[in-house]
Amino acid sequence: MLDHILSILIFFPALAAVFGFAVNKNSIRSYGVAVATIEFVLALWLWFAFDSNVSGMQFMEHIPLVKTFGINYIVGVDGISLFIIILSAFFTMIGIASLGEIKDIKNMIVTLLFLQMTMAGVFAALDAIVFYLFWELSLVPMLYIIGAWGGPLRIYASVKFFLYTFTGSLVMLVGMLFMAYFYYQATGEWSFAILDWYRLILPESFQLWLFAAFFMGFAIKVPMFPFHTWLPYAHGQAPTIGSVILAAILLKMGTYAFIRFSLPLFPDASVYFMYPIAVLAIIMIIYTAMVAYAQKDIKQVVAYSSVSHMGVIILGTFALNVEGITGSIFLMIAHGVVSGALFFLVGVIYDRRHTKYMSEFGGLASVMPRYATIFGIMLMASVGLPLTINFVGEFLSLLGFYKQSHILTLLAGTAIIVGAIYMLAAYKKMFFGVITKEENRNLPDVNKRELIALIPLTIITIWLGVYPKVLLGPINTSVEAVVGMMHEKSLTQEAKSRIPNVTKDVEVVTNLAENPAENSQEEAH
Amino acid sequence: MELFLYTALFSPLVGSLFAAFFGASKKTKIAGIVPSALLGISLISSFILLISVLTTKETVHVEMMTWMAAGDLYIPFGFVVDQVSVTMMMVVTLVSTVVHVYAIGYMDHDKGFNRFFSYLSAFVFSMMVLVMSDNFAGLFIGWEGVGLCSWLLIGFWYHKESATWAANEAFIMNRIADLGMLIGIFLVYWNTGTLQYEQAFAAMPSLEIDVLTWIGIFLFIGAMGKSAQFPLHTWLADAMEGPTPVSALIHAATMVTAGVYLVVRASPLYDLIPSVGLFIASLGAFVALFAASMALVNRDMKRVIAYSTLSQLGYMFAAAGLGAYWVALFHLMAHAFFKALLFLGAGNVMHAMDSELDPFKMGGLRKVMKGTFVMMTLASVALAGIFPLAGFFSKDLILEVAFVENHYIIYSVLLFTAGLTAFYSFRLVALIFHGEERYKLFGIHPHEAYKFMLIAMSPLLLLAIIAGSFKMTYFEMVTQLLPATEYHVHSSLTYWIMTIGTQLFVGLAILYAYKKYTSRDIKVPDGTSKMENSFGYKLLINQYYIPRFYEEYIVKAYRELSDIFWTKIDQKIVDATVDGIANVFYQTGERTRVMQSGNLSTMLKWMVAGTVTLLSLAVAFGLAARYSGEIKTFLSGLGV
Repeated sequence: MLDHILSILIFFPALAAVFGFAVNKNSIRSYGVAVATIEFVLALWLWFAFDSNVSGMQFMEHIPLVKTFGINYIVGVDGISLFIIILSAFFTMIGIASLGEIKDIKNMIVTLLFLQMTMAGVFAALDAIVFYLFWELSLVPMLYIIGAWGGPLRIYASVKFFLYTFTGSLVMLVGMLFMAYFYYQATGEWSFAILDWYRLILPESFQLWLFAAFFMGFAIKVPMFPFHTWLPYAHGQAPTIGSVILAAILLKMGTYAFIRFSLPLFPDASVYFMYPIAVLAIIMIIYTAMVAYAQKDIKQVVAYSSVSHMGVIILGTFALNVEGITGSIFLMIAHGVVSGALFFLVGVIYDRRHTKYMSEFGGLASVMPRYATIFGIMLMASVGLPLTINFVGEFLSLLGFYKQSHILTLLAGTAIIVGAIYMLAAYKKMFFGVITKEENRNLPDVNKRELIALIPLTIITIWLGVYPKVLLGPINTSVEAVVGMMHEKSLTQEAKSRIPNVTKDVEVVTNLAENPAENSQEEAH
Repeated sequence: MELFLYTALFSPLVGSLFAAFFGASKKTKIAGIVPSALLGISLISSFILLISVLTTKETVHVEMMTWMAAGDLYIPFGFVVDQVSVTMMMVVTLVSTVVHVYAIGYMDHDKGFNRFFSYLSAFVFSMMVLVMSDNFAGLFIGWEGVGLCSWLLIGFWYHKESATWAANEAFIMNRIADLGMLIGIFLVYWNTGTLQYEQAFAAMPSLEIDVLTWIGIFLFIGAMGKSAQFPLHTWLADAMEGPTPVSALIHAATMVTAGVYLVVRASPLYDLIPSVGLFIASLGAFVALFAASMALVNRDMKRVIAYSTLSQLGYMFAAAGLGAYWVALFHLMAHAFFKALLFLGAGNVMHAMDSELDPFKMGGLRKVMKGTFVMMTLASVALAGIFPLAGFFSKDLILEVAFVENHYIIYSVLLFTAGLTAFYSFRLVALIFHGEERYKLFGIHPHEAYKFMLIAMSPLLLLAIIAGSFKMTYFEMVTQLLPATEYHVHSSLTYWIMTIGTQLFVGLAILYAYKKYTSRDIKVPDGTSKMENSFGYKLLINQYYIPRFYEEYIVKAYRELSDIFWTKIDQKIVDATVDGIANVFYQTGERTRVMQSGNLSTMLKWMVAGTVTLLSLAVAFGLAARYSGEIKTFLSGLGV
């Protein structure tokens, strides 16, 4: 069973979702929880069986789909993807378990299970076409969640979300086709397998174009400034569970893809574009943090804060050294946990008051002390207090990028200031002061169903903040391999010096690409 | 010894969690007693460690577990008990034990009693992490931890707008400085390859002076935030919104001295960059004077003491900057005792006066509050630096350092400030305890605090009196680690003139304050007197207009800029562009819909037009392909 665990992880929830249609409406909730729990246990088993000393792919499966064009069903995990897969199973589980009273609960649970399939698929896929399929499929359930359960502007928001990200992905698809074509030119064989692509050394000029094509797809997904405007609408209109999954997992597809595709495939282009991207990341950090500060709606604050934090992740990724990339992957997990929890928390108050305007609250700390405490812990995690999960990621990301640029890191470091400003201001507006609105006087504190989601998230937030080593170990091993490969593959002097040489136990990458490699050699000299 | 180390470190955490356990339930005495007792245990353990360090001269160093490891970075949870950290541990645990016991009485009637002790003990734990860590990252954990607890405690009475505002201000301002600290840490890592103190400091002498200077500057920026040095000082006075025990513990004795501790801890670094040291010393001297001047006129008892704290921190930085690390640390210790005592005394007065803070509305309280009166007077004498109390030994030493090191400007500023210190301290004592009983006008019936609160304060009183006598023992201990420079004025005549002169100067300042503020003519100022309308007074009472400047030009500007970013740029430009592009497609579709009107003759026309276009394009391309060679030469001729 362990040989096929990844396929099981991917297709079990989808299969269960299909059967879910036949389940009685009254028992669908227990059914959903049961399926999601099994999925999560499987994910934990994957972790347990995972060998953290191996840097390469594990549990690989290989089924040919279209032989002529080298399209195969290939899946596998390494330290980079492992924890995001576990996190997605985890969020699906607590998301379903803590679902409130909503209409069409059956459809919601079926949709969530289907969504879980696409998420597991994206992070496990090692074939570009399969990756692309899951990547695009993940839009469908989300479109449905926003469009069917969303707020008043749901149609606009969901269409915007779909079209915007879809447009970016199409450019990415073109990039993938070109990549496969270059592979064909170099080797005489078609292949969409990422691991095959890793062995291809492209001349810098090709890299730049392909990098840009992939960038369009990833950047919109992250979302990077200035492609971020779909996100506030999507979050603003989506129901709680939609926002949670979107922030916690779906956004990570973009940053994950940067590490899976852009860095190892185009090391020289990554170095070439490092500064422009870092500048974008810094704009994301500061600008969106300021926009977050101007918001009146607490959900929008959290939504914009997401963009701001994603900026730090991007920065860590483009540190191009082990510290930074490890930090950025850790921060993906951390941000997933924390922003997911924050969206849950916003949902708690929305369920009670049916408004998200901060001016409607004030003084909540005295009526809902438990809620205020958990919100406070998540607030502190969000501003990156040490011994919370976010700090580890932020610290490592910024530390890594410091090697590349002092000034830019100093600017990006303002994240810890601007982040504190909007979060503390929001917390003050909601929880401090005296109660002014009559409706707030008798609000019930968090209930058991909500605690099902919030307590595990709180525990993880502190546990991984104190003991991040469990995650950092496997991540570090795989990242070292990636960085080693990037250093080996890079052609320009600039790239060689920017990407550190960490060849400890990394296998030397063989040069399969004859013609382009020769071209590039000439260019390099 | 490891056992004592862990006990000293973790018993405050246990106490905090214990009190947190009762957080949401009704006030219960046990939530205060248990954390206090646990702190007592921490104090005893620290004391045992102190004795051990004193007698064996050996330090205790443990590595509990790995925290972070990525790439070449390796950060453990490591703790060290050496001569410097054990001094800090003693100060922290001693003052916090006193404050905890005191707070059981002080917070007696507060609804948030349990919560208060949870926060307070959490603070002690963070502070212990800060001083005991053996690496910069661990220091940073404690650094941010105390910041968090400070935020929680300043904003403890969260229904008060001013309190929560002050809490956020403190946190954000500290964050600004923390960025500097963080950058300093990054610099240390990328240049020495480690964050462990020992290895990092060992590697520093071989680094370039530029790099060292940057490290020194950035780390000091961190220190400036926590120790509220100019221009990041405004939060400290506002932090007085917190309960008074908090002010005593956090904003006088321990947290605000963290910056001084950092500079002392990084003494191997600052020894290599004397120019940065001189800057630190100058800034310290400036802040000493600057803060003391604001304390002269302030009409809020706690704020006066807060400015005094700020001023004394300036003294410490002046000493540390001049390389006299042991002197700075000594003053830190002595100051912790008498300043905490002063604050706790002020707390008693506040309780007696129904939370009134204006000393002009008090007067004559010595009759009803004998114990508090004696304690606050002695604390003020110690603060003023009168022989033989603690302040004399520590503060005069700083003056001597400045003199011996030939920094006469710093010396004179500090000397002058010593006079101001004596003046404002006794202005306060005179206004509160002497003169007419002005409080009667306001119908207040003051009463002395609980006996046990006074008893709890007595260890601080004792130490404020005798701390000076530990000087030599202390010197011998810390100089195992810190540079053992003794500062002696060469000619003994100069020495005596200096010492007696200082004492006389300070004494006169005290007498003047007494004379001025015990007189029967003191009235509650109502803004009409000549002095209150003078420029100097207005400047000082408005804190040099700095808070207003920050509010007008930074806070407001930030808010307005944020609004512009959101409403103008994000919505009107970035998002509108996206929608605009989408609209182009949509509108194109809308417009061209008429082509598909179903009217056969219109559609035929369009069909013909389409065919013509296609054909002409085909011809054009065909020609272009045939004559491509010519076109190319033609274009290259044009320089394309």
